[in-house]
Amino acid sequence: MNRIAGASATMATTAVLVAGILGAAAAQDLTLAISMRSLSNPYHATFAKGGENFAKSVGLPFEVLVTEGNSEKGLADIRALIARTNGNVCINVDPNDSPDAKTIVDEAKAAGAYVVTQWNKPNDLHPWDHNPNYVAHMSFSGIGTSKEITNALIDAMGGSGGIVALGGILSNVPAIERKLGMEQAVAETGGKVEILDFQPADWNETKAFEIMQAWLTRYGDDIKGVWAANDSMGVGALEALRQEGKAGAVPVVGIDGTDAALVAVEAGEMAGTVAWDPNWTGGMGLSLCHAAATGAIDIASEPQEHREFYGTGIVVTPANIEEFRNRDASFDYNDYWAKSTGQIQYQ
Amino acid sequence: MPAVLELKGATKDFPGVRALDNVDMQIGQREVVGLIGENGAGKSTLLKVLTGIYRLDSGALFVNGKKRDFRNPRDAFDHGLAMVFQEQSVIPTLTVAENIFLGREREFLRLGIVDKRSMNEAARAELAKVHLDCDPATKCAKLDFAARQMVEIAKALSLDGRIDGEIAILLDEPTSVLERREVKLLFEIVGELKSRASVIFISHRLDEVLEVSDRVYVLRDGLVVHETPSSAATIKDLHKHMVGRQLDHQYYRENRQLEKTGKTVMSVRGLAVKGEFDDLSFEVAEGEILGLAGVVGSGREALARCLGGLLPPDRGEVLVDGKPVRLRHPHDAVNAGFGFVPSERKTEGFVSGLSVAENMTLAAGSRYSRVGFLKFRDERDDANRWINRLQIRTPSTRTPIQSLSGGNQQKVVLAKWRIVDSKIAVLDHPTRGIDVGAKEDVYELVREMAEEGVAIVLLGDTIEEVIGLSSRILVLRDGKVSASFDAPVGGKPDQLDLIANMV
Amino acid sequence: MAINWRAMAPVGVFALLCVVITIFNPNFLSISNAIRILNASAIPVVLVMGATFVILTGSIDLSVEGIVALCAVVTASLVLNDTTSANLGLFAVPLAILAGGVVGGVNGASHVYFRIPSFMATLGIGFVCIGIATAALGGFPVRISDRAFRVLTLGRTLGLPNGIWLAAGSVFVAWTIQQRTRLGRYVYAIGTDEVTARQCGVPVDRTRVLVFMMAGLFSGLAGAMAAAQLGQGHALIASGRLFTTITAVVVGGTALSGGVGSVLNSVVGVLIVIVLTNGMVLMGVPPFVQQGVQGFLIIVAVSLALDRRQLQIVK
Repeated sequence: MNRIAGASATMATTAVLVAGILGAAAAQDLTLAISMRSLSNPYHATFAKGGENFAKSVGLPFEVLVTEGNSEKGLADIRALIARTNGNVCINVDPNDSPDAKTIVDEAKAAGAYVVTQWNKPNDLHPWDHNPNYVAHMSFSGIGTSKEITNALIDAMGGSGGIVALGGILSNVPAIERKLGMEQAVAETGGKVEILDFQPADWNETKAFEIMQAWLTRYGDDIKGVWAANDSMGVGALEALRQEGKAGAVPVVGIDGTDAALVAVEAGEMAGTVAWDPNWTGGMGLSLCHAAATGAIDIASEPQEHREFYGTGIVVTPANIEEFRNRDASFDYNDYWAKSTGQIQYQ
Repeated sequence: MPAVLELKGATKDFPGVRALDNVDMQIGQREVVGLIGENGAGKSTLLKVLTGIYRLDSGALFVNGKKRDFRNPRDAFDHGLAMVFQEQSVIPTLTVAENIFLGREREFLRLGIVDKRSMNEAARAELAKVHLDCDPATKCAKLDFAARQMVEIAKALSLDGRIDGEIAILLDEPTSVLERREVKLLFEIVGELKSRASVIFISHRLDEVLEVSDRVYVLRDGLVVHETPSSAATIKDLHKHMVGRQLDHQYYRENRQLEKTGKTVMSVRGLAVKGEFDDLSFEVAEGEILGLAGVVGSGREALARCLGGLLPPDRGEVLVDGKPVRLRHPHDAVNAGFGFVPSERKTEGFVSGLSVAENMTLAAGSRYSRVGFLKFRDERDDANRWINRLQIRTPSTRTPIQSLSGGNQQKVVLAKWRIVDSKIAVLDHPTRGIDVGAKEDVYELVREMAEEGVAIVLLGDTIEEVIGLSSRILVLRDGKVSASFDAPVGGKPDQLDLIANMV
Repeated sequence: MAINWRAMAPVGVFALLCVVITIFNPNFLSISNAIRILNASAIPVVLVMGATFVILTGSIDLSVEGIVALCAVVTASLVLNDTTSANLGLFAVPLAILAGGVVGGVNGASHVYFRIPSFMATLGIGFVCIGIATAALGGFPVRISDRAFRVLTLGRTLGLPNGIWLAAGSVFVAWTIQQRTRLGRYVYAIGTDEVTARQCGVPVDRTRVLVFMMAGLFSGLAGAMAAAQLGQGHALIASGRLFTTITAVVVGGTALSGGVGSVLNSVVGVLIVIVLTNGMVLMGVPPFVQQGVQGFLIIVAVSLALDRRQLQIVK
């Protein structure tokens, strides 16, 4: 990663020099780029892949920037990229932290670059306030999907009983939303389902493993279902159950649609997960950005529901896993809002 | 008028050593008292008791007539006992005034803020007492060594008028790093100090002590062995009390000194370490004890470390049994047959935390293991053998070495090299800081090693020791051999001849 | 004797924790929970075996997460899986251990021969390992489909999960090295007093490299166990392990300054850390205060376990 960062910094310097000498912006191809936290997790790896696929389809140069969880590095890389391309760039960015989005949008606007953001942005930052450079913000409804997957869990439990819940890092927005959705779904059962305990396992499978063990001691057979705010923790809990020969006997649900979780769903060991389709967010984010930059659509005139929208989280259960596997995952790069599930709502 | 400082029956024990033994001492008001003694006589312990670093095991300390038990140097300072340290204690990044009033800024606080101007004024007044002409706002880093010492003395004098009672200033080896001119100035200041404070002057230079002090105490082996007005004392006299014995042949086991030594074991040819010593050549034979004499910086410590493999030579070669050996690393030296007993026993001689047996076999490489697994029985048996043979006082082979007395620790260190059959023993101050009885044991051991054919290079703790033990003596000066003396029994060279070649 | 009391302090802390947790929730003392705790302790115990030796020499190994992740990925790629075509079964385990040993050797060599502080050397190499694991897999996990391989941790022998037996075996090996070999003796000598050890001809550099290599071997085994336990290998599989490892070693009473401590102490340290997590849930401590309570208890445990007596100045 550092090598890439170093190289891009050098190239940026060179680009500035060349531009200075020529005294005019060199005519060059539009560059497409993705910026995200890390290549080490499947979600982001697929996200990048989706972006790359789109870039191939239009035959434009493509780059991946990685923040490594460091906002400073993320912003510096984006700045360098914008400088190097003279603003002739489309960036699909998953900001490391919400406030970063504001800086990125400002930089892009100043240089004439185009930006689509994913997941994180301040609630008062809106694409329509920064026409045309801030093209769109895409996200998933944490509360809505969490409610859906919780209902899948409750179904698998037969409608009643105690559940234990594993949360993400307590201060994360998705962790808070997913927990809220779970609690709403449980409340709607009118007391038939009870949350025995909620513990944050920090998105970490090992931690989830240890907490699940303790729960088995504390609640034993009273546990009728396990809810996890992501699949890593879900798999951790599942493995703790497997150690006791209870894999499959107690339904577990997670969120994210990782490979391990999908296989577990297939084997009937997990009752469900939510697939986010990062291939789509990666590809469609860039496609929309590209369309705005090239003038294929007049983004400023699009309605707000086309500027801030939720993607489709697919709830995958043993009942529909086969269907999910066989679904046509391809999508039309020009049908921008086909998978939108509505305008983003702020709580 | 009560004495400024009085010790009654002061006693302090360390494992195996009584460092202070029922010491009585009185320092009168405005009196300069000299305190002398050999290394290990108890001077440093006494100072540490006076400044609250050590607590007395029994006996009492009175300051200005009141019984005191200081918790730390600050506590002692606040009651009028100010120590001027050998290794200075001014903080270089603070100014002169800040150093003088460090920890006592309260006096200059105005609404919680230190009033620098009044602090500097007050500091200027203190500096005037020691005739140091410098701006109190100067950072101490900019001062030379002598000036910093004056700042420390000024700091001590600043107690005058700020506390009840008289003040006493402890000067620990204050002249050791001063130039002639600076020493003279210091003595003048000490003379003037008498109008304000009492002074305890500690030095190993007897002439200086006599020049400055009104009265002298001589310490030996933790006891006050002599007390005299300076006017009635001579250097020779003091020296006799300090050493406590006329040169005694029996003390160094001279009857066991070998008359004839065997074949040459080690030859040193043109050995040099830049900045330390140059072009040294000498030989040591089986059973020979080669004494090295010289002042600090003469190169003899560096030579010892070089032979121990700790200081790689830049030029020249060392031959053992006629074959050149590598001395780049300590393990080269061990492999070549060198056993090095370092002067810093506690930090370099043994590994505290490991047991007596473990320390003894540490250098033995694979001797006590088979394919890496330790042979505990062999190790224990050999350790017991050496414990009996060297009469090491230890509860068992498994006792952690740090709980032994210094002398017994040193015996373990020596045993370590006997176990690996070292051909050449390099003994760097082997008797430093151990008590008299243990010293004699070590002398026995050294003789025994010589009798068994070990070639010994000895850096003695005192000149007497070098003369008494050695069969030949090399005197080093500025990194070169300045003289060589044969030292057969009955024909030992005179101490003054050695000293003449040392400086 | 005061010294003995100190050495036993971690055991006391552990016992006290158990008593307190049992008062809140008697289920804690059940056999099934004991097995769960031992099972959760298995991988950390294997890790602290290596880490204790490194810390005993006065160095530190921060590459734990990297080596474990790399070796988990190596293991997962060598057994029947969804990414490669290998099918080595349990033979993947020695290869993973070997891989760990190689990385450990690189740790030691770069620390000793290039004179990089172990802190930096191992931190850097740990990142390199995660980088390799990420690059090799493109960020995706390798999922193990070899059911038989997972017997490594999932299977039971004499009623106990195999992971516990592996951990027990590691403790036995480490304890033997510590107590009965020259290497163990040298580790203590170097940790307490490197200058003297060097002066006695102890091969200090070689010993240090060996110690890091040993830590790598244990991390390699832990990697294989992690892969078996979670049924996959990926670059982030070991996240959080470094903190547990170092904390357990220190809570067990091994001094970060080197020379003092034991692998058995570290086993107790692991149990304390794991029981803390387990106990928090059993006692129903609210999640918001758990971290605070945990941090506080760790400090208490360390202050009890460490001998903080002044340097003894003996004239």
